[in-house]
Amino acid sequence: MDAVLTPHRTRRTRGAARHRRLASSLWLSIALFLCLAAPTRAEWFYDVRAGGLYDDNLTRAQQAADVRGDGAATVGAAAGWFYAPSGADGITLTLEANSEAYARFHGLNLISIGAGAAYRHKFGLGSMAPWASVVLTAARDDYRGDIRDSERLEARLEVGKRLTEQFDVSLGVAADRRLARNDRPIVPGISGKAFDLRGQSAFARATYDITERLQVGARISVRRGDVESTTRQNLDIFLASDAIAADPTFGSDFYAYRLRGTTGSARASLSWALSDRSSFNLSYAVTRTASYDDLEYLSRIGTIVLAFRY
Amino acid sequence: MRILIGLTLIALTAHAALAQNAIVATVVDDNGKPVADAVVVAVPADGATRLPMRRDVVIDQVDKEFTPKVNAILVGTPVIFPNHDNVRHQVYSFSPAKRFELPLYAGMPAQPVMFDAPGVVVLGCNIHDWMVGYIYVSESPYFAKTGADGKAVITDLPARAYVVRVWHPQLEGGEAATKKSVDVTGKRRVELEWALKLKPEVRVRRSPIGEHNGHY
Repeated sequence: MDAVLTPHRTRRTRGAARHRRLASSLWLSIALFLCLAAPTRAEWFYDVRAGGLYDDNLTRAQQAADVRGDGAATVGAAAGWFYAPSGADGITLTLEANSEAYARFHGLNLISIGAGAAYRHKFGLGSMAPWASVVLTAARDDYRGDIRDSERLEARLEVGKRLTEQFDVSLGVAADRRLARNDRPIVPGISGKAFDLRGQSAFARATYDITERLQVGARISVRRGDVESTTRQNLDIFLASDAIAADPTFGSDFYAYRLRGTTGSARASLSWALSDRSSFNLSYAVTRTASYDDLEYLSRIGTIVLAFRY
Repeated sequence: MRILIGLTLIALTAHAALAQNAIVATVVDDNGKPVADAVVVAVPADGATRLPMRRDVVIDQVDKEFTPKVNAILVGTPVIFPNHDNVRHQVYSFSPAKRFELPLYAGMPAQPVMFDAPGVVVLGCNIHDWMVGYIYVSESPYFAKTGADGKAVITDLPARAYVVRVWHPQLEGGEAATKKSVDVTGKRRVELEWALKLKPEVRVRRSPIGEHNGHY
């Protein structure tokens, strides 16, 4: 890497420790609450998911030569607790574990454990009553390639309404924070935390029940904030980035760069209810990121998931 | 002598039972498949009805569903909504025939709910949006609900003319379109058949949705 080139920004890392403590506190509090203090008359649920995904641009790279696609097997399990303190209010606490195993790029293989807390309020009686929810999630991600190891935090505010018995819509905003655990600078004076990211997003989603069993869904979102792109050495991206780390997951000559940008996503989904407790799900998402320095990349992700709830 | 009296009573009772009129209804869909949970109601054509004593009816909540899902009751019947789940429910209805709300509860609610106007009452739970149940409140005491074979038998019908109609939660068009007139006088058993056009069932989905979150 050419050390003469200097990134146009340096990154503030203040607050990372505070966020990490917050993530740990949320996880521990929920675990303790579920084990020790959960009231009776609460509802327990257990989710299991298994499936696969294909991402055609895992590197989030602009140049075709740097683009890498791969498929992964995915499994996940969650234990949740729902309590309704009143007819209008609901509190959900969740502990979950997820794993992804990639066919080619094993450095992306992931084990993640996380926790979530959600509060939902209904403004009235009945399934058509509007509602608002606040959701906090925290997760610890362990990758085989440890440069990606991180804690993730997300806060989400969402309002929604069922417009008809079949058509449900919601709008929301979210703030996300990813705290990289490893800092391995390769350029003096430039952070090595390329996976230390933060962003804010707005989203809208809708579902429509075509039949009793078949549901289609759509979600669009816009996010502004940090993004990560992995490429070979590239002057443009180097100048635009404010953190750089070697990313051997895709080869010894690949580097992860942190950029500022705007990401637009659109996702279509289809869910087939196999029973009241299981479903078969397909989704296709297109994501386009434009950095503030005119770098741009596109990725498409297809997923297939079998979901069970007990 | 006692044996003779006993045998005479049994014979008279059996004769009375055999003499009762009945309507045997068969309900199928437009593909000829039996329709379960259709309510068949026979209303005396002259409107004269002697209403019997009403007894409490129980509509249970088990595994976060109303059980039975479709109920037929006589107008003026009190209904109890016990909750046999280990979570609380909030049962309500917005239906014009009966608007009510049972605030969040577990076990037995404090009071039964009186259904004092005929019509269809749709039940819901404010906690579990997928829960839906139906109460058909009949103005006539002569009604029955079809089983899995699509058959319902209305017994104990006094000899007279009736207007018979059918209702089902997914019935397309009105119940009025299903009306049939029949006189059971002198007939012990009258068979009627309906082929209903049914809409797809619409209710809030219960099954999970598997989502995968991408990364930036």
